[in-house]
Amino acid sequence: MLAQLIVSGLALGSVYALLGLALVLIHKATDIVNFAQGEMAMFMTFVAFVMITQLELPLPLVFVVAPLLGAALAAVTERIVMRPISDGPPVNALIVTIGLWIVFNHTAGWIWGYDPYRFPSLFPADPVEIVGARISPNSLGIIAVALAVMAGLYVFFEYTREGTAMRAASMNRRAAQLMGVNIKRVAFLSWTLAGGVGTVCGLLVAPIIFLDFEMMVSVLLKAFAGAILGGFNSLPGAVIGCMLIGIAETFFGGYVSTAFKDTFAFLVIVLVLMFRPSGLFSRTAVKKV
Amino acid sequence: MTLWLRKNWIPVALLAAGLVLPNLVEHYGNFILASILVYSLVSLSLTILIGFAGQISIGHAGFWALGAYGSALVVTELGAPFLVGVLVGGIVAALFGAVVALPALRVQGHYLAIATLGFALFVQQVLFEWESLTGGRQGLFVPRPEIFGYELTDDYAYVYLMLVIVVLLTWMTENFRRSHTGRALMALKMSTVAAEVAGINRARHIIIAFMLSAFYTGISGALYAHLIGFLSTETFTFTTSLSFLTMAVIGGLGSYVGALLGAIYLTMAPEVFREFKDAQMVVYGLTLILCMQFLPGGLASLPERLRSLRRRRT
Repeated sequence: MLAQLIVSGLALGSVYALLGLALVLIHKATDIVNFAQGEMAMFMTFVAFVMITQLELPLPLVFVVAPLLGAALAAVTERIVMRPISDGPPVNALIVTIGLWIVFNHTAGWIWGYDPYRFPSLFPADPVEIVGARISPNSLGIIAVALAVMAGLYVFFEYTREGTAMRAASMNRRAAQLMGVNIKRVAFLSWTLAGGVGTVCGLLVAPIIFLDFEMMVSVLLKAFAGAILGGFNSLPGAVIGCMLIGIAETFFGGYVSTAFKDTFAFLVIVLVLMFRPSGLFSRTAVKKV
Repeated sequence: MTLWLRKNWIPVALLAAGLVLPNLVEHYGNFILASILVYSLVSLSLTILIGFAGQISIGHAGFWALGAYGSALVVTELGAPFLVGVLVGGIVAALFGAVVALPALRVQGHYLAIATLGFALFVQQVLFEWESLTGGRQGLFVPRPEIFGYELTDDYAYVYLMLVIVVLLTWMTENFRRSHTGRALMALKMSTVAAEVAGINRARHIIIAFMLSAFYTGISGALYAHLIGFLSTETFTFTTSLSFLTMAVIGGLGSYVGALLGAIYLTMAPEVFREFKDAQMVVYGLTLILCMQFLPGGLASLPERLRSLRRRRT
């Protein structure tokens, strides 16, 4: 029981972590919290669903194509919607991302209806026995995919020119700009990356909770909670925070109540913001002025 | 006198329209007017929160629900008079507003918006699960408003009662804007650091703004409950919160005129866009984005904007 709960908690946490990473990527680069992140992922998951059911593409191919399309969608969105207001007050940018939320959410409902669909999983569902615990390969698969994405991001940020520029920009935008980093390009790239990573999250979560126009709302809330636990400005922090949320939620659901899982996330958000506003892992609270 | 009128023609005209209009329209028209008044309070509450304090809420349906259920339960279960119910609705919402804003003690920026998202989902879930109190998916019947023993059976009389409440709260808002707290909030919005250096306690003022905003929304929810006569948890979804935000932004966050225009937009849009049906929310979202891009001051700033465009051309 314990091992099973931990593995499924880690799987759930990996899903949250992918969305959390997308949120933190954009926040680090632009100081904007993209409230539409989950809805964009949901929208792309519907597109993937069309590719599977109507174009009858093989599932592994869809898992490659859909994130690329998700990245393209986010890139276009950044270019035509976000960039014109990037110099305005931050509240306006936030309102625009909420506008994007409404647009993506209801366009999906409008096109594909409001009923839940069963989304095929890349991995078999029958549990296998591993050292005495019955573990679903789906959970292991989710964890593996998420780890692969994280490894990819790590390599990108550590070893490529663009990644280094993005790290520099998130440390000190002004200084990076003076060193010749193109800030607008950094914002553009961060949206693109986040769009791709978010789509992977949608594809992984849809087989667990059914594909539905509202499926990402509570995932987004958990990703927020995890990202806040991690301090909202650190990619590894967001991953660990989301993993903790996933495990805590699974244990809470397993031993206490499944009805109030979202309430639990809300409590985490309020408590962390009150007592450890810079996240669990930071030593000192750094204030940007 | 004429000078006073020239300076204050907008509120005078609006008040006159409010007094005359209910006589000119049929029963359904009065229902529409009542809806506009209900929404205008929510819009006003968001004007306080976003326009004055610079904080976003995407969970106002939660406060609205607390006001609605608070008032409905106080009236039906405890037999309290209608006006007491409305006040209780507002106060319950305000108390929760303080809880949602508590993180303001420590955090800067837009983390509070995330807390409001969690709050909205939390309220929705509790209302749905707590069947013995809220009726769960069966819903809850709410009696018509009653004032000093008279039941306001038709919307015509109710509109006038609402008008009194809305005018009162609008007047309060205008005074609040000019009060010490109101000015402090705007100073914080312009530059948090400068305001704090001048001795303004940021957290306290933001919590006050949240409480006041939640109070208005709670009152609005209570008035709505007695107008519709039936509460179901499906009314208080996340979509409702987002529609509220859209309405307030499109109307304009600067003043009560914007709040009223936003309320008119939210009430009339379903009538106008009826053929769009499912796409109606898409239209809301698009108008919200376009509004931020091209008319950040909302509909209320349209005359000003047109004037400046014309001036530029000549």
